[in-house]
Amino acid sequence: MLPAPEILVPAISSGNKWRRPFAVETEAPPSDHELMLAVRDGDLDRLGELFERHHGPLFGYLTKLTGNRSAAEDISQIVFQRMLKYRHTYRDEGKFTSWMYHLARRCATDHYRKATSAPIAVDPSDLAAHADEARSADESASRRDDHALLQRALSRLDRDEREVLLLSRLQELSFAEVAQILECSVGAARVRAHRALRALRDHYFKMQKEPLT
Amino acid sequence: MIEFADAKLDTETAESVRAHIAACGECRSEFESFTLTLGALDAVPSNPPTHRLRAQVMGSIESEKLTLRSQAAWASSIRDAEAPRPRLRLPWIQYVLQAAGVCTLVALGFILGERTATQRQIADLRARVDTVGQLVEQSVLQKRPSGDRLETVLTAASTGKPDERVIDGLINALAFDPSVNVRLNALSALYAHADQEVVRAGVLACLPREANPLVQVSMIDFLVATRAREASPELRRLASDEKANADVRDSARRAIDLL
Repeated sequence: MLPAPEILVPAISSGNKWRRPFAVETEAPPSDHELMLAVRDGDLDRLGELFERHHGPLFGYLTKLTGNRSAAEDISQIVFQRMLKYRHTYRDEGKFTSWMYHLARRCATDHYRKATSAPIAVDPSDLAAHADEARSADESASRRDDHALLQRALSRLDRDEREVLLLSRLQELSFAEVAQILECSVGAARVRAHRALRALRDHYFKMQKEPLT
Repeated sequence: MIEFADAKLDTETAESVRAHIAACGECRSEFESFTLTLGALDAVPSNPPTHRLRAQVMGSIESEKLTLRSQAAWASSIRDAEAPRPRLRLPWIQYVLQAAGVCTLVALGFILGERTATQRQIADLRARVDTVGQLVEQSVLQKRPSGDRLETVLTAASTGKPDERVIDGLINALAFDPSVNVRLNALSALYAHADQEVVRAGVLACLPREANPLVQVSMIDFLVATRAREASPELRRLASDEKANADVRDSARRAIDLL
């Protein structure tokens, strides 16, 4: 008896013109590194995929770092624009998230430098937060909000302390990578993160005990 | 302590920390307060950004794609236009290629030598570049209109994977061209080849002879973007140079910190 002829059907998206029916494509999605290498080689649409993967955590990190959603959004935008502009500087041996947070660090530094010489445009959605920082009449109400309390405690840290602490909280970064971003040794990064956490705890606990006025 | 709280320690270390915390009241109290604080920090909600962010990033990507396409089309039209009259450009190209050859030898010698370049090696390279610069400055480069030179640089920039001679031509333009516009465009074109050590060494060698603050700051940005740590001695010199422009000194100081 002759074996049944193999049936082939047109493939829709694969590079091959024909494929076996019902074949399950098990190809893993490209890694961040592979996507960025493609961007570097001119496939700019891949940066859109990287944006979809990473803009959320990046924006969250920058929001906590700056305490200002509007500034965080501006910096996030600049980070991705710099990825586009400096795509040729992305190295083969690098890890994408380390590179991204390295760029974010530099963009945030630029933002702070400009902010010291010019007033920041305030997003209306941030007015409550700004008022809170200014210890206005809304302060006592905000204190009841634990998140606002923590954010205020965070804003009392030095920028370097906030930076190392928030970087160490990112799941996708190891301490070795945090150290690489901060351009210091792993031991120094650990010590700085520990000191920052201690300072945050002290501010946070102290604020919790402050009487409502 | 943070790594222990996040269960990021290896089993053995985590076990010893756990045993210590169980036995030490002070550390237990500290650990509990840290855990509370970290929990509160992680619990701070992060609302998504507005749609403006996505729209602007995607807009930048589309804009860059359009620029690349128009550059490619423009370069192609330039090449087509140049095809019937190659002899007109030949003497200039030959001269530039000779200068480029000298630069290539200098740069390759620089790279093939010890990778950790000493100040003396950089000074030697700088001196040679200056010598070539004097030769070129007094010759053909200045005799061509700056528009033509800019056109050549832009054509080189739009080449997908250029050979060494094109890169050397760009470094030459950065080092010797009298037009600030041409030098800035040459530097911008070199970003595409920043992964090559010869490019970073070339930009570094051009920095001491550059007098325009705008180009100096752009070069410093380039060296920072490419993480050229070997630029530190030159950046320190610039940062402390009282004759240098204040913005250039600031830029050099910032670069030293970043590198």
